Amino acid sequence: MAGPRPSRVFTFSAYEVKRALARKKVLAMVAFTALLDTVPYYILSTSGTNIIPADLFPYLWIAGVLAPFSLFIQFIAILIAAGAMSEEYEAGTAELILSKPVSRSEFLAGKFLGGYFLLALLIVFNAILSLVAATLTYGPQSGLVTLPGVMLVEIYSSALFFSVAFMFGELVRRSSLSYILSSALIVSSQIIGSYLQLAYEITGKTYYESIHVYLPTTIVGSLPLQYEQSLLPSSTGKLFSLILGPAGGTPSELSAALMIGMYFLVAGGVALVYFRTADVTRRVS
Amino acid sequence: MGFLGPNGSGKTTCIRMLLGLAKPSEGRVRLRGEDPLRNHVEALTRVGYSAELPNIQTFLTPREVTELAASEMGLKSSAGEVSRVLEEVGIIEYADTKVGKLSKGMVQRLSVAQALLGSPEVMLLDEPMIGLDPAGTAHLREVLRAYAREGGTILMSSHIMSEVEDLCSSVALIHSGRLLFRGTPKEMVETVLGASIIRVEARGLTPDVVELVRKVDGVVGVDEADGGLVVKARAGMEVRPAIARLIADSGADLLTIAEGERMLEKAYIEALKNGGAKAE
Repeated sequence: MAGPRPSRVFTFSAYEVKRALARKKVLAMVAFTALLDTVPYYILSTSGTNIIPADLFPYLWIAGVLAPFSLFIQFIAILIAAGAMSEEYEAGTAELILSKPVSRSEFLAGKFLGGYFLLALLIVFNAILSLVAATLTYGPQSGLVTLPGVMLVEIYSSALFFSVAFMFGELVRRSSLSYILSSALIVSSQIIGSYLQLAYEITGKTYYESIHVYLPTTIVGSLPLQYEQSLLPSSTGKLFSLILGPAGGTPSELSAALMIGMYFLVAGGVALVYFRTADVTRRVS
Repeated sequence: MGFLGPNGSGKTTCIRMLLGLAKPSEGRVRLRGEDPLRNHVEALTRVGYSAELPNIQTFLTPREVTELAASEMGLKSSAGEVSRVLEEVGIIEYADTKVGKLSKGMVQRLSVAQALLGSPEVMLLDEPMIGLDPAGTAHLREVLRAYAREGGTILMSSHIMSEVEDLCSSVALIHSGRLLFRGTPKEMVETVLGASIIRVEARGLTPDVVELVRKVDGVVGVDEADGGLVVKARAGMEVRPAIARLIADSGADLLTIAEGERMLEKAYIEALKNGGAKAE
């Protein structure tokens, strides 16, 4: 059997972008991203507070790029991914699409890539908006040479929750349920992480931190942070702790990258195997 | 081919299996000689499908829906083909209106339009006339006739027996997932009812002529109806020439003599009595 044809994968990717943009909740998230990227800068710059040292002003764009990443951007990722397949079943449109001479792998790959491309655009939008807002409120920004790299690292890191939510969408074929399951993974990982960190600080026992290192939210949040910290002057360390709170244990960049890749391969593989073997359900709601 | 059967008999499931959307619990499915599950692309090349109560992306326009389908099929220079099929089913003036704003009948036409893309060899139509008004039904009937005239094959499930009688050269009847009958509509009527029905329209028929018709070899019953006779003839017997001669010789005016219409419905209902035993 021949592999997926790029032209068909592209067709479905373009279709998925259009479909996702037609959903009001995705557009609402875009609007919310814009607010999140601009309003805090405005409030901080006009409130007269001196909580931020002046030597950090040229690096404040980093705050807008990294602060929303570990939670807010991940919620956008699952919002896009959880509905990519499940909403086709709920609307009954999967049947029509797959009644044409296209393979299921082409459809699945196209939907995944289309949604992922949209998420990448949102990450770029978030970064650029942060840069513009920081420049307008705190003057010219520095260290911008790292901006493309950190965007790419964020896009790669988002693959973890995106692929898990995509898999849930295919397995349960209900958008609300897959969104709840994916959100539960983020929230529980975050809560467990906080408890483990607290337990480590109280008891000093390293295994609490060891477990914390392998939680999905730790992996996703740590990679862009480590990437950016390694490239910027050490004086910006204050900024990172100011924005992101006390740093807990984190996996190495290589470990984090490998674990993200592993999550992607397992979740994507499960979704593909299930989709290729299961019946295409008719309208389910 | 008309694909007949009561609700829940498995018509839609059969069509979905042909399309590779559902797996058979046992047995094999082949479409154009290919296994639609293993060789989906090969099996569905040049096959059109229109679903019963089609679910079509409401955020797209008919033009975008058909463009997407054309793109899936890899049709080159699809713009002309898209306009052709939308025009053929009579919705070209709604080509740029969102599907969510179209009536059920328009959506049904759109579903048939995307099935017609690329002039398929085979069309699988699941209840294609549902939701259409009489004018829409007549229009779509003509579209399907033209397609069949050009050599296309249609497998059409329907509960509207008059449509099937009118459009289909053969029928298949299923019940509870079992094939009960396959043949021409005439054969189904003869097999199930045990006779063919001939309607005679004539002026000036006398009781003597009716009695003579009753005695024609092959005639098993005659009922007088408004303006003529309903003649039951033994299955496989051609009695029309003899009846026509008798009436002409008697001096009565023979207006029409033809196989009875709407008999398929009677045969269908009869066939499904007692779990379809009569059709087997």
